[in-house]
Amino acid sequence: MSEPAVAVTELTKVFPVPWRRQEIVAVQNLNLRVEPGEVYGLLGPNGSGKSTTLKIILGLVSTTRGQTEIFGRNSRLVESREAVGFLPESPYFYKYLTGAETLRFFGKLCGLSRASLKKRVDEVLELVGLADARDRRLSGYSKGMLQRIGLAQALIDEPKLIVLDEPTAGVDPAGSREIRDLIVDLKRRGITVLLSSHLLAQVQEVCDRVGILAGGVLVREGKLEELIAIENQTELVLQNASDNLLHEIETLAVESHAKLIAHRRSTTTLERLFLEATTKHHSKE
Amino acid sequence: MIEARHRRFSFVRVLAIATNTFTELTRLKVFHVLLIFALLLIGSSVFMARFSFQQEFQILKDVALGAMSIFTSLLAVVATARLIPQDIEDRTIYTILAKPVARFEYLIGKLAGVLLLLAIGTLAMGAMFLIVLYACEQTVLHETARQTMSPEQLNDALRAVRASALNADIVPCIALIYIKACLLGALTLFVSTFATTSVFTTVVMVFIYFIGHLQATAREYWLQQSGAGWITRTFLALVALIFPDLQAFNLVDGIIAGAAIPLAFFVKTAALGIFYGAIYTLLAGVVFYGKEL
Ligand SMILES: Nc1ncnc2c1ncn2[C@@H]1O[C@H](COP(=O)(O)OP(=O)(O)O)[C@@H](O)[C@H]1O
Ligand SMILES: [Mg+2]
Repeated sequence: MSEPAVAVTELTKVFPVPWRRQEIVAVQNLNLRVEPGEVYGLLGPNGSGKSTTLKIILGLVSTTRGQTEIFGRNSRLVESREAVGFLPESPYFYKYLTGAETLRFFGKLCGLSRASLKKRVDEVLELVGLADARDRRLSGYSKGMLQRIGLAQALIDEPKLIVLDEPTAGVDPAGSREIRDLIVDLKRRGITVLLSSHLLAQVQEVCDRVGILAGGVLVREGKLEELIAIENQTELVLQNASDNLLHEIETLAVESHAKLIAHRRSTTTLERLFLEATTKHHSKE
Repeated sequence: MIEARHRRFSFVRVLAIATNTFTELTRLKVFHVLLIFALLLIGSSVFMARFSFQQEFQILKDVALGAMSIFTSLLAVVATARLIPQDIEDRTIYTILAKPVARFEYLIGKLAGVLLLLAIGTLAMGAMFLIVLYACEQTVLHETARQTMSPEQLNDALRAVRASALNADIVPCIALIYIKACLLGALTLFVSTFATTSVFTTVVMVFIYFIGHLQATAREYWLQQSGAGWITRTFLALVALIFPDLQAFNLVDGIIAGAAIPLAFFVKTAALGIFYGAIYTLLAGVVFYGKEL
């Protein structure tokens, strides 16, 4: 039985603009299926309808037309949210609570028993790397830490599906790296992940499948490697290649009617450079 | 398919939201300022001018119960008005309602937090009031005992002092003040479900507060003036439905006059207040159910 984790059918959402005769079509005729166990990325520029789609899936916003389901249960039903964790865009929690208190609060809302609550709070804090900050108030948390407590809160009830709205936005590269590692970790545990982002490079390495939204319309969808592969090109990365060898390869290529398009030194990504430099600096201190 | 273990209404969830709301509210500066101010006002009623002991107790009760009434009402409105807009602004409402929490449970939890805060506030003010009243009673008793009169006269005098100071009628009086504040809290919650800002909610509530207090007098006056045409009657009935008759919860005048409060009257008024509060909570639930977050 392959029941989709998330099924969105013919979804349209229109926001009326008060005092004016016009409307905002935030999402238009959207069809989407997220299979259990996959990491699905909803991409698109700001205002393209990503957050609206996610909120509709979670039953926080009503639909104008169409319907959404989570594991076969209509999003309008409260019980559809039983196996789901949600991290909203730039979340903000009660800042007078400590990390552990926050998680206990959300655990109670999920109906965790007293005994499992204590165990889960410890586990989840460990998982997101906030065990040391557990008794500190959230007013003293950094943006990255808030994002991680948000993630912890979404995971408190061992959900089967977790929905993340811009999980890496506004977080520094190291924090964003940690969040992406966590997502990979979740996938390994068999948890379905649906995330939205406008930071394409960061999504690229974690998503199995992506959909691209523009103006509320799904303009592209598919497996990541298929979407971005250039069918008739191949890359070759060599170490310690002599000028001679390179020259020979070039001649061979011309002989077999292939065309050499680019010839350049390999580079590292700026992100990797940044992470290397900052972690070295840290370990020196 | 996941097995359904969801319960329609969970006391644990409501309690979690209620205690959290209570913590949130006790951290508000407004709460501390209002409470301290009310306590000072009640305490200072000791120093009011007096001519006879009856008058002294009258003024004391008038000031203290009046202060309690105003401050609990103010607290109810100010504390409730910000709850939902704040949660929406901070997006904490998304995280809460993305859990298997029904919207009505969220509302009930928020309201329960306010009622708990109001209970604490009322108890603190009530305790202050009783202490002040007791202290005054003791002073007057001492003064009376020093006067020269026959033992019978003295006994009568002392009894008269006791009767007009601390008596059992204070309890229903304070209970109704609390119920009135709860009612206002529920009404504020209702208004805040469709208001866009907490300022709007507060302004509307101030308006309702005054109409609610004045309408009984206005109604009597109108009915006397223009007879009782059915248009007038319908209009007044509508007003009474929308704006609760807040004056009905003021027993201060009654007990100051020394008249005992009949139990039936107290029960009727209390039931009315609870009924109004429940209606407003239900209405808030209906509006909030369809609200776009
Ligand atoms: N509550 C709302 N009322 C009116 N318009 C809204 C509301 N929420 C979102 N929108 C509009 O819907 C469009 C999509 O917004 P959103 O889903 O937040 O985009 P994204 O998350 O992709 O940046 C935007 O044009 C936004 O202005
Ligand atoms: Mg968004």
